[in-house]
Amino acid sequence: MRHQMLCPPAATALRFELEQGESITCEVGAMIAMTSGLTVETTSKSRGGSGGIIKGLKRMFSGESFFLNHFTAQLPDQSLLIGPTLLGDCVHHSMRGGTMIVQGSSWLASTPGIEIDTTWQGFSSALFSGESMFWVKCSGGGELYLSSYGAIHSLEIDGDYTIDTGHIVAFEDTLKFNIGKASRSLIGSFLGGEGLVCKFHGQGKLYYQSHTLPSLGALLGPKLKAK
Amino acid sequence: MGRIAILDRIEHEHEHENRDAEYEKKQHRSESHVLLQRNPAMVMPASRESFQGGVFHASIPGGRSGATLSIARGELIADTISEPSLRFSIPLNQCQIDLGGASNRMVFCRTKEGDLTIFCEEKNFAKELDFQSGGMLAGPLKQLKKGLAADANRFRFWLTLSAVACALLLFVGYFGVLWTAKIAIRALPVSVDEKIGTMAFSGMEMGRKLEANHPASRLVQEIVDKLKPHASIPELKFKVTVVEDKDINAFALPGGQIVVFTGLIKEAKSAEQIAGVLAHEMSHATLRHGIERVSQSLGIVAAIQIMVGDVGGLVALGAQVAQTSILTSYSRAAETEADLEGARMLNAAKIDPKAMADFFEMLKEKMGDLPDAMAWISTHPQHETRVQSIQNHQKKLPVVQYEPLQLDLKAAQDAL
Ligand SMILES: [Zn+2]
Repeated sequence: MRHQMLCPPAATALRFELEQGESITCEVGAMIAMTSGLTVETTSKSRGGSGGIIKGLKRMFSGESFFLNHFTAQLPDQSLLIGPTLLGDCVHHSMRGGTMIVQGSSWLASTPGIEIDTTWQGFSSALFSGESMFWVKCSGGGELYLSSYGAIHSLEIDGDYTIDTGHIVAFEDTLKFNIGKASRSLIGSFLGGEGLVCKFHGQGKLYYQSHTLPSLGALLGPKLKAK
Repeated sequence: MGRIAILDRIEHEHEHENRDAEYEKKQHRSESHVLLQRNPAMVMPASRESFQGGVFHASIPGGRSGATLSIARGELIADTISEPSLRFSIPLNQCQIDLGGASNRMVFCRTKEGDLTIFCEEKNFAKELDFQSGGMLAGPLKQLKKGLAADANRFRFWLTLSAVACALLLFVGYFGVLWTAKIAIRALPVSVDEKIGTMAFSGMEMGRKLEANHPASRLVQEIVDKLKPHASIPELKFKVTVVEDKDINAFALPGGQIVVFTGLIKEAKSAEQIAGVLAHEMSHATLRHGIERVSQSLGIVAAIQIMVGDVGGLVALGAQVAQTSILTSYSRAAETEADLEGARMLNAAKIDPKAMADFFEMLKEKMGDLPDAMAWISTHPQHETRVQSIQNHQKKLPVVQYEPLQLDLKAAQDAL
């Protein structure tokens, strides 16, 4: 299978070339176009994966949908075009074992070797990061595709790194994650406009986005007139 | 691609297994007791288990790979699942143990130089590492245990908190629904009361009903007609029935169905006393005590039925409850309310409310003589105070010239 990013990062779409028998699991509603030799199967479980209804429900908590769409090429040389629901960027991450913790609705697609589950991110993180209480846990080996509103950049962390809450797209589970204040005093950090930040510690890869949707909403919201 | 790599790895393992199996077969063919000696490493303690973890090393494409970990010959060994599979190892006595990761339960084992890191999150990995290193890693591992215990504590704390929150929510929810039901019931049209009353009335087992033109029926009907214009709900159709029963009793069903027992008419000293009882019972109907009582008895069921719009179901259930509970009693507050409203109606109809109090007094005096006939008293207790409260209330009512009822009680009593 080969993939190609079209028009990144503002209105990214992903084009896959699938050989006969190859398949890919996508977020429901991600499909834009496809050739006729592809079949779509909608289930609540990941391909060959365990779970079902429970995992589906858990996935709903994390901001993903209950169902997953599995596209399988029945004929050679098939192509599939997918994209995130909103405007935004996509990124490809190759997994060789291990686990990637993906924020809320950023999971877009993955190959069958990757198991998709939901993880509880803890009370304090959820309360203060303003994000979903549950994150998507992707583990195994295969190709993982993430999407986000802002342009996605990646970073190899080795040691400590601080990032503003809401900008996290995904991170490897070898990284420890703490919520903290940007400056020493809480008032100072709010006055500084940074509020609370996520502090990472350890070694691993982090994907973050340049812009967040809530900040766009906060900017536009007051200017919109009620109908 | 990662998937292919995994397949490769599995194939490798199969090869190993096959070779081992063949080897074992050969050994079996010769002598079984030499089996133990086939692997010299077995002398040293070796981990029988393998763990899924990972490796960080610059030589791996991407710098990181998932790996299958094992502990043998005093070394932590990691075979990457990347293609081709690479083997890394760190002697246990050179391991720098650290905890971290998203779960804060991941065990990291680093070389002193920090160029190679092997990590694993599996629970048994830490135990095995501790065992294999002969307690050398006890310090950092103790920290892990402490962390796990703290996690468990935190979990318990949140669990307790959630349980309390749930209980609170249920509590608030339950009473919220009941409260909503009360409001919703009050908002129901009076026709619902009437339906419940009619249904309950038809299902009740009672003595013979007197004809409408019987002198006793006519007497009671005339009193009701006199009081009716002063009822607080004008559209309520009061329907009164006299039933043959020696008990001194009368009751009102929701919607204005009123039943008077012949026993009560027989014992009344004046038509005004009967008017007092009727005004009280009519007030139960206008104050909608019946349907309130039904909603209390049915509680959540009634609430749900009203919320889903199933008024028909409510009527059916309400009729059942009305049959059994209206006869028992209303609450003290409802009785007092009915007394005061009854007094107001009597006053407005130019009937002295004192008659109502008189009737209670009479019943009280009669108690000793007729202990079994005190049906109305038994459903209307605390009459000591109510006589007092009726008299107090009467003082607040507008002063009117009372007119004695032009009714022949004697004739009605004689006809019974
Ligand atoms: Zn009463």
